[in-house]
Amino acid sequence: MVAPLLDLRGIVKIFPNGTLALRGVDLSVQAGRVHGLLGANGAGKSTLIKILSGAIGATGGQIFWRGEPVAWERPADARAAGLATIHQHIPLVPTLSVRENVFLGAGGVWRSTAALERRYAALLEQLGYEIDPGLLVGDLPIGQRQMVCLLAALAGGGDAVIMDEPTASLADEEREIVYAAIRRLTRQQNKAIIFVSHFLDEVIELTDEVTVLRDGASVLAAPTARLDADALTRAIVGEQRGAAARVARPPRQAGSAPVLVVRDLRADGLAAPVDLELAHGEVLGIAGFLGSGRSELLHAMLGADRAARGRVLLHGRPVGRSVPEAVAAGIGLVPEDRARQGYVPGFEIWRNTSLPRLADFSWRRCLPRRAAERRFAEAAVRRLAIKTPSIDTRVTALSGGNAQKVVLSKWLAPSTRLLLLDEPTAGIDVGAKAEILALVRTLAADGCGVVIVSSDFEELIAAADRILVMQAGAIVGERRSAETSVHELVLLATSSGGARAA
Amino acid sequence: MTLSLRRQAVARPAGRSGSPQRWRVLSLRELGVFYALLLIWLLLSAATIGLGRPLFLQPSNILNVFYQSSLISIMGIAMTVVLITGNFDLSVASVAALSAALFIELSAPWGVWPALVATLAICACIGLLNGAIVELLGINAFIVTLGTLTAIRGLVLIVTDGRSLSVDDPDILLWMNGFEGGSLAARPALCAAGLACLLLAGALGLRRRRLGARADASPADPSPAGPDAALLGSLAFGIALLAMGLSCSAHARLALPVLYVAAMTLATWFVLRFTVVGRRVYAVGGNPEAARLSGIDVRRYRIAGFVFSALAAGFSGVLFASRLGAINPTALQGGELTVIAAAILGGTSLLGGAGSVVKTVVGALVLFSLNSGFNVLNLGANYQGLIEGVVLVAAAAIYTVGSQRRGG
Repeated sequence: MVAPLLDLRGIVKIFPNGTLALRGVDLSVQAGRVHGLLGANGAGKSTLIKILSGAIGATGGQIFWRGEPVAWERPADARAAGLATIHQHIPLVPTLSVRENVFLGAGGVWRSTAALERRYAALLEQLGYEIDPGLLVGDLPIGQRQMVCLLAALAGGGDAVIMDEPTASLADEEREIVYAAIRRLTRQQNKAIIFVSHFLDEVIELTDEVTVLRDGASVLAAPTARLDADALTRAIVGEQRGAAARVARPPRQAGSAPVLVVRDLRADGLAAPVDLELAHGEVLGIAGFLGSGRSELLHAMLGADRAARGRVLLHGRPVGRSVPEAVAAGIGLVPEDRARQGYVPGFEIWRNTSLPRLADFSWRRCLPRRAAERRFAEAAVRRLAIKTPSIDTRVTALSGGNAQKVVLSKWLAPSTRLLLLDEPTAGIDVGAKAEILALVRTLAADGCGVVIVSSDFEELIAAADRILVMQAGAIVGERRSAETSVHELVLLATSSGGARAA
Repeated sequence: MTLSLRRQAVARPAGRSGSPQRWRVLSLRELGVFYALLLIWLLLSAATIGLGRPLFLQPSNILNVFYQSSLISIMGIAMTVVLITGNFDLSVASVAALSAALFIELSAPWGVWPALVATLAICACIGLLNGAIVELLGINAFIVTLGTLTAIRGLVLIVTDGRSLSVDDPDILLWMNGFEGGSLAARPALCAAGLACLLLAGALGLRRRRLGARADASPADPSPAGPDAALLGSLAFGIALLAMGLSCSAHARLALPVLYVAAMTLATWFVLRFTVVGRRVYAVGGNPEAARLSGIDVRRYRIAGFVFSALAAGFSGVLFASRLGAINPTALQGGELTVIAAAILGGTSLLGGAGSVVKTVVGALVLFSLNSGFNVLNLGANYQGLIEGVVLVAAAAIYTVGSQRRGG
């Protein structure tokens, strides 16, 4: 066996307040291999990535880079040594061109476009992917931005690249591009990739080795070929939970009037007017990739899109075409981008959870009663098992899955009669995902209508009763989830029926 | 990226461990402007003692600082609300000047009250216009209000025809004098206000103890840990007001504009802190998109912020006109910067979502204490700009560094 490029032995991290984030992590990464790093929220992945990228120091243990012990004090040290990190929230400058972004870190006084052009061409060759260097990054879809990040990491001369959930917000097509680039980099360029992901199937398909973290320790390290999804899930969640792919389905009442009727809904992102119905106790899935108009449809239903026209009837009563009216009627939206659209960063958990129905918590709908708000937040924390020191914690201090649960719990009140979920499980660990999907089923059984949008089709089949497939702003198919497969849905969503939006 | 990672890494432990969190309400970041005011008062007092001049820290002088800062404080309170909603209003000083000119111009033919109502209505329309352009057309508030700053100053020149206007009618002058120059006996007023604060503190303390007992019995009703800002604040204010009331001489007077500031501060503070509207104002600035998707009409709140700001500026203008009985077309020029400086000294974030009107008023007091100190020390006005600018940047630095430590 060759000496590993990067070798971590017994890494321990204790935060100044005594929190033991890592209790002894071993990780050994070979050049020319893709190494998967898995773990539930709070398992220590983020802390480990921060230590590797030099953002924080380890309390104990040793890091060996090319066989030499190292202690990086700054991210710049790690980069200089040849270890690049691509963080989940892509740090690119939207107003600069792709080329400028890729060479943002390059030193020197003069910028020669010709030289940059040559280096850029060489990088594209390494990656095996074409992207026009003159485009503005702000105009690119998120998948291409991910590639720009990868190019920038390569431009810095990285021998190893840590990718923190690079595919979390990508559609399947864009994922394939990232996978191809990763394979090329490892097989042909002999780079090492540390690939952090929540998607088990992609980890199995893509990686050569896997390390699983649980509760701050590495609990599994093995070649991927010897593992399957079941084994990985068991390692991630521990023995107590096991595979949670299928969500229990409470029996439905038949024969009641539809919860939601949408008629002739038109909006900018929709190519054709949309009609749909949602039965009592039903969960409706909407399958579609980025740009298919799925988020636009939800925003149009809520009235958040001012240009949208059409009729939305909730329990037979028409809903006003503005967000305040829709919220008052009992429609709630859990948006796709929770940091930008979901929560108020300066508010504690309890102030966030009471925000949509603040008047209901208030004396004469005017003076909020803290005790009631706090009780609601406490109940939500218990019901959704949100991991937080207290409800006075700011949402920004929580991990992604827990922040998402806070956003979801804003709508967990009896007054919510229709819940619109836009990619509710993006970037969330297996455990939190299963909990959220189970909650969705319970809500539906209690009579709350649920529409769930996802690009994880497996999840839709597990959670929804009926699935509409969207493509290029129109609904192109409808399937009962019991009678369809991921394969069929992908085919519907990508088939050449209409031109795919980029 | 690096910085934010470090920030989180440091912030998380501070958030979880008990004691730093518990005493956060007393930190430099939370109360910095109060400490600054005390420090400036003590330094100026020491300087006056050293130079053998009349002591700076005496009730009549402090009351005078209150009075001098009143116009800026009134505009600052409204500016704080605008800043909390995530906007910016540069036009306030121009609006105040226009209001002063209109009030003087209209009061002669129409009488005082109709002129007052018309003036404030016009100011509200200007606020509505500012807000509508910013929110409905989506143009940056800085640019829009820079434009209205200039345009309304031009309007002032048109209304006054470039000359100073003054009030000749003795009845109107009398009204103005009563409205602006009136005063109360300071000692009973201050003592009463101090006692009211202490009573409030007592009530809050009792309520807290009762809630605490209930929380022990059932953990389902949690109350926050650590000392309560409202309790400590009302206690400290009560003691300070009482001390001032008892120490001032029997014929010291409290000017009416100081009372207007106090009433407006109290009302705005109450709305921001205890009402649904107030919570939504903070949410609108903290994350407009999240607020919108939570069913809050973000535009309406932001436009209302501009209207409030213009109304407050209009009221300041009326006070200004009443103080002088005259208006000169360049009056209050540059005042908007002092107003914004007061808000920033008080820790209001230019990014929206955070700010406190009480602290803005204290920020205005800091600026005018410096001002008054220069007079007491007989330092030329030449130094004033330099010192004020340094104080402002230092304050902003303390807030920024403080918030990095705390995170979030």
